[in-house]
Amino acid sequence: MTMRIPINKLLLCACLISFLFLETGCKKALDINYNPNVPQLAQGNPSLIFPSAVLATTAKVGGDLAIVGGMWSQYFTQASLGEQYTDVDSYNLNANDGFVSGPFSSWEVLFESGLKNYAFVQQKASEAGDWNFYLMGTVMKVYTTTILVDLYDQIPYSEALLGTVNLQPKFDDGFTIYQELLDSLNLALGKDFTLSTNTDPGTQDLVFGGNMNSWIAFANTLKLKMYLRMINAHSDVATAGITALYASNPVFLTTDAAVTNFTDAPGLDNPQYEQDKRNLNTASNIKASTTFVSWLTDNGDPRIIYYYQSASPTSINQGDFGATNANYQAAPVYRNIDHTAATDPVEFLSAAESYFLQAEADTRFFGGLNAKSLYEQGLMSAFAATGDDATTFIAPGGVYEWGNEKEGGVVLDPIAQIIRQKWASCAFGGHGIEAFFEKNRTGFPATSPVYSTDPAYVPGQLVVVKNSVLPTGLMPKRFVFPISETSVNKNAPAAVPITVPTWWGK
Amino acid sequence: MRSLILLIFLAYVAISANAQPEVITGKVTNARGEPVSYATVTLRGTKVSVAADIDGEFSIHGDRGQTLVVTAANYGSQSVLINADHLDIHLSVQENALSEVVVTALGQSQNKAKLGYSAASFGSTTITKNAPVGMLDGLAGKIAGAEISTTGGPGSSTKVILRGFGVIAGGNNQPLYVIDGVPLSDNQFQNTSNTTNALTNTTDFGNGMNDVNPNDIESITVLKGTAASSLYGGLAKNGAIMITTKKGHAGKLKVEYSGALTLSKVGKLPDYESEFGQGWGGVFVLSENGSWGPKLDGQERLWGSIVDHSQLEKPFSFQKNNIRDFYTTGTELNNTIALSGGNDITRFYFSYGNVSSDGVIPTTSDYLERNTFALRTNSNFSNFAINSSFNYVNRRQNAVAGGQTGSDGGGIFQSLLQIPVDIPINNFRDYTNKFFNVDNYFTPYAENPYFGLNENGDLQHTDRFFGNVDMSLKFLSYFTAQLRVGGDFTDARTKDWKQVASANPGSWNAGGNVEGFPRTPDVGSVTEASDNVSVLNGDFILKFNKDLGTKFNVEALAGANYYENRGQSQATQVTNLVVPGFFNLSNTKLPPTTASTYFLQRRMGIYAQATLSYADQLYLTGNIRNDWSSTLPIDNNSILYPGANLSWVASQNFNSRNIISYLKFRAAYGETGSDPAPYLTYPSLATGTINLPFGSLITPFNGVSGFRISNNIANSSLKPVFTTELEFGSEIRFFNDRIGLDVTIYDKKDDGQIFPITIAPSTGYSTLTENLGVVSNRGVEITLNLRPIETKDFVWSLIYTYAKNDNRVINLTGGTLNPVVFGITNGPELRAVVGKSVASIYAPVPQKTPDGKIVVDATTGFPSINQTPLDQFGLKNGYFGSGLYDYTMGLSNNFQYKSFSLSFSLDFRYGGVMYSQTASEVLFDGNGIATTYNDRRPFIVPNSVNAVTDGTGKTVYVENTTFVGPGSVALGGQNPGGGSGQTDFHFGYYNPSYNQGGGYGYQIFDRSFLKLRDVNLSFTLPHAWSTKISATSASLGIYARNFLLWTPKANVYVDPEATNLGNDLGGELGEFATAPLSKSYGIILKLVF
Repeated sequence: MTMRIPINKLLLCACLISFLFLETGCKKALDINYNPNVPQLAQGNPSLIFPSAVLATTAKVGGDLAIVGGMWSQYFTQASLGEQYTDVDSYNLNANDGFVSGPFSSWEVLFESGLKNYAFVQQKASEAGDWNFYLMGTVMKVYTTTILVDLYDQIPYSEALLGTVNLQPKFDDGFTIYQELLDSLNLALGKDFTLSTNTDPGTQDLVFGGNMNSWIAFANTLKLKMYLRMINAHSDVATAGITALYASNPVFLTTDAAVTNFTDAPGLDNPQYEQDKRNLNTASNIKASTTFVSWLTDNGDPRIIYYYQSASPTSINQGDFGATNANYQAAPVYRNIDHTAATDPVEFLSAAESYFLQAEADTRFFGGLNAKSLYEQGLMSAFAATGDDATTFIAPGGVYEWGNEKEGGVVLDPIAQIIRQKWASCAFGGHGIEAFFEKNRTGFPATSPVYSTDPAYVPGQLVVVKNSVLPTGLMPKRFVFPISETSVNKNAPAAVPITVPTWWGK
Repeated sequence: MRSLILLIFLAYVAISANAQPEVITGKVTNARGEPVSYATVTLRGTKVSVAADIDGEFSIHGDRGQTLVVTAANYGSQSVLINADHLDIHLSVQENALSEVVVTALGQSQNKAKLGYSAASFGSTTITKNAPVGMLDGLAGKIAGAEISTTGGPGSSTKVILRGFGVIAGGNNQPLYVIDGVPLSDNQFQNTSNTTNALTNTTDFGNGMNDVNPNDIESITVLKGTAASSLYGGLAKNGAIMITTKKGHAGKLKVEYSGALTLSKVGKLPDYESEFGQGWGGVFVLSENGSWGPKLDGQERLWGSIVDHSQLEKPFSFQKNNIRDFYTTGTELNNTIALSGGNDITRFYFSYGNVSSDGVIPTTSDYLERNTFALRTNSNFSNFAINSSFNYVNRRQNAVAGGQTGSDGGGIFQSLLQIPVDIPINNFRDYTNKFFNVDNYFTPYAENPYFGLNENGDLQHTDRFFGNVDMSLKFLSYFTAQLRVGGDFTDARTKDWKQVASANPGSWNAGGNVEGFPRTPDVGSVTEASDNVSVLNGDFILKFNKDLGTKFNVEALAGANYYENRGQSQATQVTNLVVPGFFNLSNTKLPPTTASTYFLQRRMGIYAQATLSYADQLYLTGNIRNDWSSTLPIDNNSILYPGANLSWVASQNFNSRNIISYLKFRAAYGETGSDPAPYLTYPSLATGTINLPFGSLITPFNGVSGFRISNNIANSSLKPVFTTELEFGSEIRFFNDRIGLDVTIYDKKDDGQIFPITIAPSTGYSTLTENLGVVSNRGVEITLNLRPIETKDFVWSLIYTYAKNDNRVINLTGGTLNPVVFGITNGPELRAVVGKSVASIYAPVPQKTPDGKIVVDATTGFPSINQTPLDQFGLKNGYFGSGLYDYTMGLSNNFQYKSFSLSFSLDFRYGGVMYSQTASEVLFDGNGIATTYNDRRPFIVPNSVNAVTDGTGKTVYVENTTFVGPGSVALGGQNPGGGSGQTDFHFGYYNPSYNQGGGYGYQIFDRSFLKLRDVNLSFTLPHAWSTKISATSASLGIYARNFLLWTPKANVYVDPEATNLGNDLGGELGEFATAPLSKSYGIILKLVF
């Protein structure tokens, strides 16, 4: 038995279907390759891009660099019998190390997620005449660039951030970069912030909540910091720059340039807490260092409670991991009061630091008439940050009295005293990397000739770590060039050891 | 237009009017004269087809002078000229169940003789012999050039690699699965929250191809080469697996039942040392998670936590089979019932299959419940045929997370490996017991594995529908149009939950243990994910088949294809659960993290193929295809590629076929162009989230929105990847097919690999998507069939396969010459290296002197990590070898005695290395056998020196005298070379965290193995018996699967096939604390009514 299908109807169907194929086959049906899961590049604007760029700076300055800086400035050390940061605490940061190179390194995150996006903000804001965002983008780009210059000495700058236009950016020397950065700050500061083309950043500004006066103060203080940093290498440029800066009657920071908008929740918290405490299999990798503990104890400094939850904590000699010692086991974890560290601020440039910079400039260039007052404001700010009061410490007879602070029985000279106190203040807000830079610029705090177990050890002097991989007596002065850059950039310079000072160091 | 239709119509009527068919009857029997039931009898060159009945008898309308083609499962096809009203047709048994008609690209049946490329086919008997859950499970080791591995427990993925890995990036080396001519999607739906870290809480819910019920399959044809699959385009660049499903046959209602019960036991586990017990540093420590303690002495000892001033007691002795006893017997029920039947016009096939499988891990945390429904119809009218296939799969799977522990919990296998050799693991089953609960489990460093099994879980529900409608209309005897539309729609819902666990203050694990160490709390989490994927595929094909003169025949087709792949997924996770045991997204005070992803891609293609035959012995086929793809740059989205193959059946010219019964030569060249993944051509923003080494800062950030410019540079001039392959082969059979040899050599190249190359971060970007480089796979495949004994009652047949593939990265232009495909931070990594394979395994190695001595750190006694470039690329990590096998061999034996058959098959894979985290765990905690080296007394690394700087600043080497062992100063201990106490850095010697240079040498080893894949003893009930239970046929079999495994001496740790690193290239690195594989035994009953 057979059935006959009406063939003409079927053919009609087939034709219709083929017609459908051809119809859908047009270009339109195939032009669907715009990723629906993220906005297109053209949809980017300064207000949308700026916050995540700031997050990148926050993540590194307050994360990795807070850990390296805190260890190298000796506020805390690797817990004994732990292993997470033995590389840092033995000065073993080679070109391959995760802190130096690779997807989470400062180099990679700051170039890719920080600087590139700040440059985008600058460009778009400039096109729109939105000088508020232009200044914010410029200041953060300059700040972030100086972090990289200060860490790695030379970085690509003039040929950087160009994508396929230049896949092999040459490295520029740090001093040239500094000068260009200062020029760009001056350019941005010279814009008219009253024009109607300016927009209010509001809460998209994670640093100052849209307060442009604070950004101007940040820019000025940043200029001061940059000029002081070149004081060893180019004192003439530093002198001229600071003279010109003060001649412009600048406003400096009196509040912290910091990100404080954290909550105690995964991904929304302080980056050091997020990466070291919340997401590691042990939250007790970072413990009290004898260096900082001995200094605080020696001076009866109340900030010890803030950092170690005890007025007389036991501590671990810097870098003495691997040793078994009951005191080491009992040493407190750094900033371990419940979850409070989850909302610790990340400091870019603190009020205390601003005063200490001004005190140093006053001492060096203006006869030191205002140095005492600026120093004391710095100390008051530093103590206030941890909820303490410095009044009795700076009062006559106080251990931190201006011109009368002693170390090993010897009175510190003004610069040494300022930098020593800046060192102590930088423990707050994960700002240890700044203390590390300043140590390398000024030599303070002094390096102890003996280890902290020696009876001759002067409390608070930095020690060469127990398990150093460097030649005897040497300490790190920089990061080495990262393998993730040098392996693909033909224009990368030859490797420079970690012990060689950066261009501004001594 | 109208007149054309009319013309065709008239022509059709004219031709059909000519046909005056007679009724031809016949009987199909085998070589022993027994009837062959249900053979398919087709009138050659027509759609007229009938099925023989149970007794092999059939009737069909046909004319004298026409040819009948008779095929049946397990038999070769036979062509018979109609020269009488009644025909007796004899079919001969095919070795390896190879049938002569194979399914080629686009689902077109083709006589195998015409193919200029290699194609291996398997019938349902082979596929379902040992009651597999996955359709290819029964074929592992049986196909030369196909590596088939199951990677885990019930429902886990199957890894199939045909002729080597050709694609470096993106995990895209699996073949195309085609079911009745329509591509089948092979998606893996993961718990997306885990994808940020491929090593933490890994789960495997299987891949899409495993949703097909093997009992529904009539045959599987494996098209290994590009030449064979070229008509499918880029989807099939890694070859294609063509699945033909069972169809109903005309006749009375047929009921088929297949039921199997399988019991499984855990397979290979790490071997443990039996000399030293719990402790660390040679000292017994109650709370330690390792066996670095004193020698086992059999004395009664208190152990575990001190609770309520009481403690448990047990002998301090080795627990034999300790981990093995943790596992239970898995049970698997696999039932399928199928109904089929119909008449000359319409046949149907319906089946329902159920698999309930509980694996060897205690509890139902590894469990698969799969229900499959299939309904197929085939209708033939005189000039029109319509076939349909509808399949619904409902699946529910529990999986146990492998890999490392996350902050929310998990890591069961890691915990399991951290139990000292003297503690009976079974005890912990009662995980709420006061000695074994969260507060008082013996160690704060790991979690009771039973806690995780019972309190945490990963569950996936899947609903899937796939099917097609296939219509063909014959305009003329030589001209047919076919329209086939298929769809595949999957909806998967995944839930993952982790219980909150923290020790109560004051308890043993809150720091009250002898070491004062507090355990890390599990903050708990709930993740819910939903994935929805749909694939639409349509083909419109015109087919032409005509004899030209007496010797020439031309067969041609031309068609158009529309393909659309669309998907969306949403995942939401909350952590830090508030109410323990309440696993809902509302159970947190923290904001949830969510992600939603959509994708859509379309491809349109036109293609044509023509086969010219000469004198039934010489066949030349050419094909060409052009695709337009949405994922290529819109102004340059066309891909054109050709293929050709030649087959010559030389034996057609032989006068005598007494010695050489068959001889064929093949040559084929094929090319496919495949398009990139979606969304690589236009620049975009990216979420503002910044990843930290651990954790991340997430946007929106505390009320602030943020996006940044993507760190990948999109490529607006991206090109397709072209895969080209040249293959030559020959088939030769001797002595009436008693000996058969099939040899193929091939040379395949994947050119223009689409790869995000790493660029200098100072450019502002981390990667640039580019076409670069060529990966080559060259190899040889040999299949040898033998029937050494063939008598009336007894047949012994065997099949031996050999395959050797040389995988090599030829070049990578513009990017790094050795990109990391998958790596573990500061540890082993899988690199694709120019001049080496795409799966080259590297890891840190010891520094060596120019004359080969190991440089040891004079302070620690451990080898220094190598810091000098070891190859032309400047890599400092050492090359341990390729992760790929050097060669593979398989041997299947089948003995048939009357109604009994006994078969077994071996699968041998030789060469390659792998990394094992399981090995790393047991070496770290002193459970591994290697840790008893030198009876754990201090030792000096053999053949070692120290590097010192002489007066002139030159490095010189002096003999090393620093001991590794108790009291060495490694990491701060005292008294080099002597003393005792708790500072024991033997353990550090096996741990790359301490022994960075030397540690990996113990964890990377030879991945060779020999497996007894299956043994099967079957018995077919005599017809007289089966009729007593009203069955037309009945058979009973017992079988064992994977129950013997041999590995080289170095591997005392894992089954090398087990991995939790995925079923693609990344998995070649090895495994990361994965679940063990199992071995199983079972019984299978098949009935036909």
